[in-house]
Amino acid sequence: MRPAGAALAALALAVRVAPAPAQRVTLGPQFVLVSYREVASGLRYEGTGFGGAVVGRFRRLSAEAAVARVTLDPADGSAGLRGFTATQVDAWLAYDVAPYASVEVGIAHRSVDPELDAQSVGAVRVGVRASSEIGPGATVTFRVDYLAAPRFSGGGRAPFSLDLGLGLDVRLAGRLHGTAAYAFQRIGRKTDPGGTGETSSPIQQSVARVGLALGF
Amino acid sequence: MTRCLAVLVLLLGFAPAVGGAQAVQNPMLRRAQQAYDNLEYRQVLSLAQAALRERLTGPERARAYELLGFTYGAMDSILKAVDAFKQVVLIDPERQLDPNRVSPKAYSAFDVALRQVLLVRQLRVDSTSFVGGQGAGGVPIRFTVTQPARVATRAIGAGSEGTFLIDSGAWNGQVNLRWLARLTNGDPIPAGTYTVVVDARLGQNAFSASQPIRVTHGSVDTLLHLTNLPGYQELPETEIPPQSWRPAGLAFLYTGGALIGTLGLESASLGSSSKRELSVVGAAALVTGFVMMLRKPAPRPAEGNILYNRLLREQIARRNQEIAKENVTRRQQVQLSIVPLLKPSAGGAR
Repeated sequence: MRPAGAALAALALAVRVAPAPAQRVTLGPQFVLVSYREVASGLRYEGTGFGGAVVGRFRRLSAEAAVARVTLDPADGSAGLRGFTATQVDAWLAYDVAPYASVEVGIAHRSVDPELDAQSVGAVRVGVRASSEIGPGATVTFRVDYLAAPRFSGGGRAPFSLDLGLGLDVRLAGRLHGTAAYAFQRIGRKTDPGGTGETSSPIQQSVARVGLALGF
Repeated sequence: MTRCLAVLVLLLGFAPAVGGAQAVQNPMLRRAQQAYDNLEYRQVLSLAQAALRERLTGPERARAYELLGFTYGAMDSILKAVDAFKQVVLIDPERQLDPNRVSPKAYSAFDVALRQVLLVRQLRVDSTSFVGGQGAGGVPIRFTVTQPARVATRAIGAGSEGTFLIDSGAWNGQVNLRWLARLTNGDPIPAGTYTVVVDARLGQNAFSASQPIRVTHGSVDTLLHLTNLPGYQELPETEIPPQSWRPAGLAFLYTGGALIGTLGLESASLGSSSKRELSVVGAAALVTGFVMMLRKPAPRPAEGNILYNRLLREQIARRNQEIAKENVTRRQQVQLSIVPLLKPSAGGAR
């Protein structure tokens, strides 16, 4: 946690005032890369898929939603026997408290098929986001969200879960934007199978979305 | 020798004044003129008086008296010279002697003669143009009254314009009047031809002089609206910031933040991840930041200039509002132009 806190502090100090982008909507498809780990280092999956994202802004309010459907297979050396398909839905609603900083709330939901091959998760997210314009039509964002009240298909609880992300939006030409987003999710899940006492069953996922979008 | 000098002085003193006279047609007066030129003063007196008994034009009669005045002056008969000059100014009130070209005796005699006769001389109405009813405007009228007298100045219209009293008062010497040329209700006087008449009265003596003028009406020039203030120009509202490392620095900072955050959040029990996803997005962010650092920065609003331009536009708008109000007033005003006309005849004693 200490490196993450240091990163946040450095960001807060270094981010300069950049005017919020004008009112607009961007919408486009994305190619998705996913790495997923659960319970122990031996249970890890990697996969790819496709998705889409839409971003809207109105004055100080902005909303973002992303959907991805990925197929994950056991990585090399994984103890997993077979892959699964996951559908990830993320949504954020943010309010600009400063030209470069926003507070946001949202949801994170991942469903797995076949069920119980991995954990389906649903949670509410609350966090902050920093954004800076690094050039004409180019914006980078960094976010840290706390995942509150997570629910798991396999039961358990997660008193501490975080989701951090890095985003990039570049206007390539006219209405055409290039987008890239990275999200790292760490869920400190604890389970109590058979009432024998809580055991740690963490979940860790990193997602990269790269795509194009049209701005309106 | 003394006689020669006296002749020279007399020639210098009187000859220019005599030479400047109009052409004389009467033979007797012409002989008087020749006698005066030859300094034969006694002959001048007899010839000029003989000429005055003949039928002479006004200028010839004035010239005959003038010869008598100069001759009496030269002969030291000042009282007679004054009487002769009185006749001259009664016939031609505008007659003026040049003190630099006539003898002091003759000039002083002429001056005494002017003071003994009631005259209104050198009536002048200057050409002018002004806005009717404005305080600063007015028609300058100048004249000279040779004796203290009750003087009434009027403008008499040639047609239905009417008669307007310009001034009435006791005056002596040079008089300067300013006529506002407006009616009692403040409106400008009607356009037309007027005659400015100056009546001077002293006891039984009276004299009047006149000057015709033409009064025309015109519209008052309106003011043009301003598009800029002299000496002040609008400044560019955007400025291109200098190139800096900031885009690459920010991209590095954000990517580094994500990397540090990832490393910090990774669970020890799950092992270190491959960072494949972060590498893809982080590399894209870093490349973008590097490219943006090399690109010409986008123009950004220059707040100071924007405020300055806003103030400038407000000033221009405010001034234009004042101009619009001023123009509304000006469109209701009348520009009066006064031009003096040639006199049909000189004034005279009554």
